Amino acid sequence: MVAEIGPSNIESAFLLEALKKGTRVDGRGIYDYRTLKISCGPTYGLAEVQLGQTWVLARVSCEVTRPFPDRPTEGIVLFNTELSNMAGFGLESSRSSTQEVAISRMVERVIKQSRAIDAEALCILAGEKVWTVRIDVHFLDHGGNLIDAASIAAIAALRHFRRPDVTIDGEEAIIHDVRERNPVPLSIHHTPICVTFGFFGAAGDMLVLDPTLLEEQVQVSSFTITLNSHREICALNKAGGIPLSPAQIQRCTQVALAKVDEVNEKIQLALKASTA
Amino acid sequence: MSRPDRREASQLRALNCSLGQLNRADGSTQFSAGNTSVVSGVYGPVEAKVYEEKLDRAVVEVKFRADIGAPTTKDKWVESAVRSTFEREILAHLHPRTLVQIVIQLREGDGSVDSAAINATTLALVDAGIPLKCMITAATCAVLFDDTTVVDPTQEEIDAARSTHTFAFASGSNDRGPLYVDSRGEFTMDEYSHCYDMCTLATERVLAFMRTAIEGKVTKEAKIGAA
Repeated sequence: MVAEIGPSNIESAFLLEALKKGTRVDGRGIYDYRTLKISCGPTYGLAEVQLGQTWVLARVSCEVTRPFPDRPTEGIVLFNTELSNMAGFGLESSRSSTQEVAISRMVERVIKQSRAIDAEALCILAGEKVWTVRIDVHFLDHGGNLIDAASIAAIAALRHFRRPDVTIDGEEAIIHDVRERNPVPLSIHHTPICVTFGFFGAAGDMLVLDPTLLEEQVQVSSFTITLNSHREICALNKAGGIPLSPAQIQRCTQVALAKVDEVNEKIQLALKASTA
Repeated sequence: MSRPDRREASQLRALNCSLGQLNRADGSTQFSAGNTSVVSGVYGPVEAKVYEEKLDRAVVEVKFRADIGAPTTKDKWVESAVRSTFEREILAHLHPRTLVQIVIQLREGDGSVDSAAINATTLALVDAGIPLKCMITAATCAVLFDDTTVVDPTQEEIDAARSTHTFAFASGSNDRGPLYVDSRGEFTMDEYSHCYDMCTLATERVLAFMRTAIEGKVTKEAKIGAA
């Protein structure tokens, strides 16, 4: 079908020239995020993130299911990313769609494997009934850096979500209707946030935070670092591209530490605004 | 009779929309009626896959994505409803051998989702500049167990309804009859006619709303163009 048209030589040359002088095409500083808008609600577990032109929607839902036999006391966390045609994926060649699969795998790994959600708190009756929490992430518009936007949306939605309250009476569990009893928030250990950098130049000596779509197309390598609010590293991802020096990775980590605090603050504000 | 949200029986929920929010799509709309909210994006006319292209007209493809879970038959139903409604009203012969792709993403479903999807798609097609024969507007009605009929029901009302009816009309030709009808449940002929009339009135209001939205966008663009 319609092949993705990369940037013209003039565009990429201009971008690189500007970067050498420390400016970006959209006027940002190299360590600046684009305008980040987070909105939660009105229903529990719905969060939307707009990062410049990138627009991601996350929806958390839950249902009662049987646990996996080998983990009878743990709830199940399902993660689903919709590479919706809305962001133009279906119209591109299959090559770029494998790239998009990599994005969704990355976000899934960050949320599920860093054990951000307390799975044992989702148990209702051991071996019988547990909550299955489902996270659906929909990409509505692609303006670059989907990973960061998706991780922010997923975390905001998880923190905003409330599940129905349960009381256990011996072998019987009563699930209370939302109108009957206040629903309860999920127990979340920590909130991993992805911060992505793009590298430019023959040796990857120029770097930018939060690359746009154009920058993503020109970059020679990218690096995603996932940190939580306790200043711990949850995941690192450098999928291919040119080799980078350890010093650069350390520099990225320092920058990301500051950025994660900013993002967490914004999520906090959005959550507060939705309950007010 | 009083509705949970204190609306009149024939009152729509607050309508809201913004056009052209998506950057990659050729046209798009975010449309909401109360808590029910959808985003519709249109790509087109673009190159069609060889095996699906039609020599004399554009192919219309609709994708509907629910907010929760994998695609279900219910979603497929909405897809086919939207496609069959719009297929004949898009002037497809003007763009032979191409594809018009409509992607609808449900942000939140609180009843009357199919009519919101149709309304959003009309606006997105207009935004994309796809030639249409007419504007298509839709509305949903529900007949409750106490025999009252309410327009634009919420999910709560639909769950407690005896029958629900969705009608889509082409603008300026209500005498031509509806383009799309979806009735579920048990109902009498009289109830059906009553719903038909109520939805006709409701779609006129939706159409007036769409007109204001499009006019607003056109004047804004004209100002930018003049500056």
